[in-house]
Amino acid sequence: MTLPTVASEAPRLAVPPKPRRPRAALLGWVAAGLVVGAHLMAWSATEISLGNLVAGWQGMARFLAEAIPPDLSPQVLADSVAGALVTLWIGLLGTTLSIPASLALALLAARATTPAPGIYQAARGLLSFLRAVPDVVFALIFVTAVGLGPFPGVLALVCHNVGVMGKLWAETLEDADPAPAQALRSAGAGRLQVASHALLPSVTPQLIGLLLYRFDVNVRSSLVLGLVGAGGIGFLINQSIQLFQFDQMLTHILVVLVLIVVVDRVSAIVRRRLGSSA
Amino acid sequence: MLALTDIAVRYGDRDVLHGIDVTVAAGELLAVLGANGSGKSTLLRAAAGLAPTTAGTVTVDGRTRRNLDIALIFQQIHLVRRRSVLDNVCAGALGRLPLRRSLVPALFPRAVREEAMACLDRVGLAHRAHDRAGTLSGGQQQRVAIARALHQRAPVILADEPVSALDPAAAEQVLALLAELAHAENLAVLAVLHQPDLARRYANRLVGLRDGRIVLDGDPGQPVDSLYPSRALQEVP
Repeated sequence: MTLPTVASEAPRLAVPPKPRRPRAALLGWVAAGLVVGAHLMAWSATEISLGNLVAGWQGMARFLAEAIPPDLSPQVLADSVAGALVTLWIGLLGTTLSIPASLALALLAARATTPAPGIYQAARGLLSFLRAVPDVVFALIFVTAVGLGPFPGVLALVCHNVGVMGKLWAETLEDADPAPAQALRSAGAGRLQVASHALLPSVTPQLIGLLLYRFDVNVRSSLVLGLVGAGGIGFLINQSIQLFQFDQMLTHILVVLVLIVVVDRVSAIVRRRLGSSA
Repeated sequence: MLALTDIAVRYGDRDVLHGIDVTVAAGELLAVLGANGSGKSTLLRAAAGLAPTTAGTVTVDGRTRRNLDIALIFQQIHLVRRRSVLDNVCAGALGRLPLRRSLVPALFPRAVREEAMACLDRVGLAHRAHDRAGTLSGGQQQRVAIARALHQRAPVILADEPVSALDPAAAEQVLALLAELAHAENLAVLAVLHQPDLARRYANRLVGLRDGRIVLDGDPGQPVDSLYPSRALQEVP
């Protein structure tokens, strides 16, 4: 027995041709041409050479051969774990100590909460500056001021993180539902009262989610800061490379891998829980 | 008493309101009806100071309107859903509290919190004080918004389609509450409505707008058909 098909009986209507938009098509081609051109320039400027990569494979092989197996002796492992913990603490403090300045600048740099257009522009400018200066450059500056060690790493992360987190928070505040703020404004609430009683509580999960994301990024950044003398396991990796102890370097990298995975998982779990409670 | 005198509003080159005169006495619930685009929400926004007027005055008890004199209730309720019901009601007092006593809910004086509880009790929701506002039903949330308006201690309440987002039972409850509060607390309540039957049952007086002009003013029982361009097209219940 064959089942009756309804498809053949369903009414149909011819699809009209799409309207031609020659201007949009031209813009599309121009944009594609610019993207391709930018990639060609980047390829040339970064001196990419697959030939050099193939020719140098023996160097990489030798490097890997000396690194494997990793040195898992108790002393190296203990140093590695201690270094990883310092890296974690640098990332933690670099994130939490930047909260007050990030929040203050975010409030000044969000249209809904800024007291004046001039202050808005100044706050946005300061955030752009802090974001534009890489944390490694901040670290080098602070190393010259306070010497080698984790402290300049924390200071560098705080400075750079204020720029990034302040901007992310400001944009979250600008995207917040304006309705509760309007209600409080009409009840006579001032700008700070509106921010603290309507805007901030409306976007708290997003703000904490961004904070955790930045913590995740900062732990990874603090590794790189270690390479320029700002302490932590990055410092140990740099030391191992300079002393040609590549097996110890691999041990440190494996410990870093564990650290990054743990931070990433914990941060993801907390973000998910915040999302479900929003 | 709320008095709107010769209110005119112009958006671009279009006159939205043409010299409107409306008064709402203390203890009175005035319903404003009209088709979409008739100017009723603009009238409410002009009364609240949210829409710029090209002419006219708004006074409350004979004085020029101040923000604190008028409490607003919105169609979409506008509570902070993540905050507790009590904190939302306390926010009604923000306009009269110094910043140092109101920057975060923990700083609210005990008197403010206790008054908020009394307002919540007034709308029958004292038992939900510590629940998150977002966990309440739409009708309950609108009652919390009314409690917040009460906490503002304003002599005038303006309600912009306060029951449009609610089911019929919740809409009845909210309108009954507004009418009861207007009488018991001696408040002047102006409510923009889309439901003529609710207006008939709960308002003391009805004003009808068409094309930015008042075409009806008086007994809520009067027919309102003339406010709407066509019975076939109107979407009112």
